[in-house]
Amino acid sequence: MQKIKSLMTRQGLRSPQESVHDLSPIESFRIPSKEELREVCEEPTDPQAQQEIINSIEEVYFSNDSFDIVKYELERLPPVLNLQELEEYRDKLKQQQAAVSKKVADLILEKQPAYVQELERITSLQTGLQLAAVICTNGRRHLNIAKEGFTQTSLGLLANQRKRQLLIGLLKSLRTIKTLQRTDVRLSEMLEEEDYPGAIQLCLECQKAASTFKHYSCISELNSKLQDTLEQIEEQLDVALSKICKNFDISHYTKVQQAYRLLGKTQTAMDQLHMHFTQAIHNTVFQVVLGYVELCAGNTDTKFQKLQYKDLCTHITSDSYIPCLADLCKALWEVMLSYYRTMQWHDNHDQDEAAAVSSVADGSNVIGTEENSFDRSYVKKKLEHGLSRIWQDVQLKVKTYLLGTDLSNFKYDDFIFVLDVTSRLMQVGEEFCGSKSEVLQESIRKQSVNYFKTYHRTRLEELRMFLENETWELCPVKSSFSILQLHEFKFMEQSRSPSVSPSKQPASAISTTVTLFEQYCNGGNPFEIQADSKDDETEDVLASNGYESDEQEKSAYQEYDSDSDVPEELKRDYVDEQTGDAPVKSVSRETLRSRKRSDYNLNKVNAPILTNTTLNVIRLAGKYMQMMNILKPIAFDVIHFMSQLFDYYLYAVYTFFGRNDMYESTGLSSSRLRTTLNRIQESLIDLEVSADPAGTLTAAEERKEKVPSPHLSHLVVLTSGNSLYGLAERVVATESLVFLAEQFEFLQPHLDAVMPAAKKPFLQQFYSQTVSTASELRKPVYWIVAAKAIDYEQMLLLMANVKWDVKEIMSQHNIYVDALLKEFEEFNRRLNEVSKRVRIPLPVSNILWEHCIRLANRTLVEGYANVKKCSNEGRALMQLDFQQFLMKLEKLTDIRPIPDKEFVETYIKAYYLAENDMESWIKEHREYSTKQLTNLVNVCLGSHINKKARQKLLAAIDDIDRPKR
Amino acid sequence: MSQTAMSETYDFLFKFLVIGNAGTGKSCLLHQFIEKKFKDDSNHTIGVEFGSKIVNVGGKYVKLQIWDTAGQERFRSVTRSYYRGAAGALLVYDITSRETYNALTNWLTDARMLASQNIVIILCGNKKDLDAEREVTFLEASRFAQENELMFLETSALTGENVEEAFVQCARKILNKIESGELDPERMGSDTEAVLTNGI
Ligand SMILES: Nc1nc2c(ncn2[C@@H]2O[C@H](COP(=O)(O)OP(=O)(O)O)[C@@H](O)[C@H]2O)c(=O)[nH]1
Ligand SMILES: [Mg+2]
Repeated sequence: MQKIKSLMTRQGLRSPQESVHDLSPIESFRIPSKEELREVCEEPTDPQAQQEIINSIEEVYFSNDSFDIVKYELERLPPVLNLQELEEYRDKLKQQQAAVSKKVADLILEKQPAYVQELERITSLQTGLQLAAVICTNGRRHLNIAKEGFTQTSLGLLANQRKRQLLIGLLKSLRTIKTLQRTDVRLSEMLEEEDYPGAIQLCLECQKAASTFKHYSCISELNSKLQDTLEQIEEQLDVALSKICKNFDISHYTKVQQAYRLLGKTQTAMDQLHMHFTQAIHNTVFQVVLGYVELCAGNTDTKFQKLQYKDLCTHITSDSYIPCLADLCKALWEVMLSYYRTMQWHDNHDQDEAAAVSSVADGSNVIGTEENSFDRSYVKKKLEHGLSRIWQDVQLKVKTYLLGTDLSNFKYDDFIFVLDVTSRLMQVGEEFCGSKSEVLQESIRKQSVNYFKTYHRTRLEELRMFLENETWELCPVKSSFSILQLHEFKFMEQSRSPSVSPSKQPASAISTTVTLFEQYCNGGNPFEIQADSKDDETEDVLASNGYESDEQEKSAYQEYDSDSDVPEELKRDYVDEQTGDAPVKSVSRETLRSRKRSDYNLNKVNAPILTNTTLNVIRLAGKYMQMMNILKPIAFDVIHFMSQLFDYYLYAVYTFFGRNDMYESTGLSSSRLRTTLNRIQESLIDLEVSADPAGTLTAAEERKEKVPSPHLSHLVVLTSGNSLYGLAERVVATESLVFLAEQFEFLQPHLDAVMPAAKKPFLQQFYSQTVSTASELRKPVYWIVAAKAIDYEQMLLLMANVKWDVKEIMSQHNIYVDALLKEFEEFNRRLNEVSKRVRIPLPVSNILWEHCIRLANRTLVEGYANVKKCSNEGRALMQLDFQQFLMKLEKLTDIRPIPDKEFVETYIKAYYLAENDMESWIKEHREYSTKQLTNLVNVCLGSHINKKARQKLLAAIDDIDRPKR
Repeated sequence: MSQTAMSETYDFLFKFLVIGNAGTGKSCLLHQFIEKKFKDDSNHTIGVEFGSKIVNVGGKYVKLQIWDTAGQERFRSVTRSYYRGAAGALLVYDITSRETYNALTNWLTDARMLASQNIVIILCGNKKDLDAEREVTFLEASRFAQENELMFLETSALTGENVEEAFVQCARKILNKIESGELDPERMGSDTEAVLTNGI
């Protein structure tokens, strides 16, 4: 191809397009002439041959331009040149050339028409271009003319006008920006006025406005400033929100809520609010306690501020404990009330909003409403959930406070106050979130048990002191005295008021209608009215109220209290009850009511017999019961301790008056009573300490549950026969115990009502085994008097001097009978004397008489069993003596039948029995001692019993395995 | 009435009496002393009531065991039994009632006879706050006190004035007597009975 090219170039440049060469850089193209092409075609035209020739052309000839063909051919020449060959080779090359030329010419010819056609089109294009060039030239000439026609000035005017218009726009913007910048001042004003929604609204508007000017560089500054302000508002809003916790204010809260809604942060606000409440609880309690601790420490030392709340609580002094607790509760109440009112606000608000939505209902802002209701349900849930969380927080804080101090040394009233406050707080919790306040209850239980142990321990010690100072003098009270008149039992009257049984009365009956939250919603504090709201009812248990008149009452017990104001019924009840308890079962009631009754009961039938110490125990019982009412969870402990008061009193009376070494183990105390006394001694009495009267305190403390056995006051004399061995004191002591037992009986239903079901058996056992044994103490106590009042020994001696083997029937009784009767008369006189000091209840005088007569009759039998020899006439004399005794005795006493009368008569008459009858009699009458039976048999010997029969009878006596009577 | 702790420690134990006519304010004085407040719903005392408190007297801790007696004659036999072993007594009259003042001699005889000749007695003219109704002057009462070797204070259970002082001064006098050997601490207070028992 190179060759062809160079060949074509050699034909010269005769291009027709030469005149337009400056318009385009198109390369001129040479078109080969026809002659040239024809020349080429003259060569052999056989196409086959032609193709072969072309094919034989060496490859190198078709290579690149840089290839030097001449050099190539020369170098190919053989070293020895041969002309022939050269020529041949030259011809061959010529041929080849010709073939190529021919081929080329053919190809060119083939394209000729197309070429011509194209060329024509180029020519017409050229013509067009030339025309365009002319138009352009004309245009430029016209433009030049126009430029000359307008002035520079008028164009400038236009430009200025346009600039002015722009500047007016700018000025307006700048003014707005200036206002925007000044809103800052207004914003802080609004914040000061606490108009948060307004401030936020304004701020948001500003931001919106600012965004339209954001192409000004100064705006970005303003924007960030507004952002700052907004954040600042949010912070302030948060502070405002936190204020809600301590003092809820509707309008304040409404503003804050609106503000948060504007910010679209209703939910965040709620979360935040709960945090604030938690924080408020903590801060409140800390501040209150810190205040008191610092106040009491008396210095402004800051070390307390760094303490943990828990540790701080342990620094509270017992003086400040109560005021601090009250303040703590007051403050916590405020917080809870705020929460309550927050909820209330949301409730009302929700209703309002729901109403508003339903009334509008144009669906214009459906999305907004949906979002609102979502927020609302979130808020509602959150608030409801928060209730128990907040209450839990409150409980824990109060618990820490409650347990921070050991209350066991608190005064009773103070401790009750603590309980009152706490139970009120629990009531608040109940109303707040239906909580049972387990945390508080547990801490109160802990403190109570601890407190009550110490309290009871001190009370027992005090009771011992009372008992040891007690001279068992009658404490004069009205015959209509009832423990319900005592200040300590006022609570029972209240709870019993409307005929319902006391057990059915719910403890918190007061709070049924109006809740504390409703009551104190708009001010006041349920923990404020607590202080000293005691009732001022007076305790009118005294016979007379004026003390001036007392001087006339000196030693005038008989006139002291007429029982005319007591209904007859009441008196009868009293007697019946006593008879039921009295051991003289066989004595008919009619007899008891006979004339002589008044001998010992002058005018004082119903005046209860009680002592100063009895009153003290009763009062304590009242206090314990109050404690129980407040402290249901430790009711069992309290009742248990209360039973110990009774136990101790009973034990004291027994120890002082019922125990007598001389007459011990005579089987006078029932086994029930003995069991009870043993139980008390084992569980309550500290026998080791009682051996050491100095009573070392530390030792006593180690035996915390026990008290030493009490000592009888030395002012009480039990050894004088004139006073019937302290009968007056014994009566007062024993009957006061019986009175105490009656009071306990009276209290039983109340105790039973508060006793947990599982522990009820304890109470039942206490009543059936202890309280009911009180009257059984009469037997051993009065037995001692009976045993000493009559000189039975003396009678035995007198009887020993009598001759019983007389041969004639005597008509005169023996003097020992007179002596015995004289003793009885003396006893009767002394009894009358004593009854002038102390009313001796019928059961008591009956027991005394019964004991004395029984002892006398037993002594008679013993005396008859001492007889060595006896005749039939002697036996008759015995009967005479006994009849005389009975006749005179029956004038002294109302007791019928005379106790152990049969015992004497049967023994005397057994003398007359024949041998066989005697044997069966011996077997039937085991109440007589071996000695008495043996003697009977022995005195009969020689009259109607022979020696053999005697042997048989004595064997019969030996045979009998006698249970000791 | 009041309560004391078990863990308490003290150097001396004194038994005290509060005596005087009914209505003079004995119970209120005791209440004020122990509870530090005025008992305005005071009921008549029946028999004897009890209170105790530990006071600091010149660096010594003294436990006062105080028996508050009923002033009415009817209770005399009950209250007398509590006199024994008492180391100190507050003899109370009401400055607005001459009658209560006139009764002082009887009370004094009783106390010296039933408690002990050595009993330290402080005379208290109570209801000092009711000065307008005064029937007994300070001067005559203090003369009476001097003649009978009593200490004397005018007190008010209502305001609390001189109440603590009355008890403490009485206790201080007893302590002084003990220190000077005039009194044997072993022979008074709650221990007396034990000592006397040995003596009998
Ligand atoms: N104004 C006044 N009244 C008193 C004072 N002390 C007691 N009272 C009143 O006197 C009455 C009798 O008090 P109370 O302590 O029961 O006397 P008591 O019988 O000696 O125990 C009560 O009504 C008390 O309120 C006092 O210091 N001032
Ligand atoms: Mg009184």
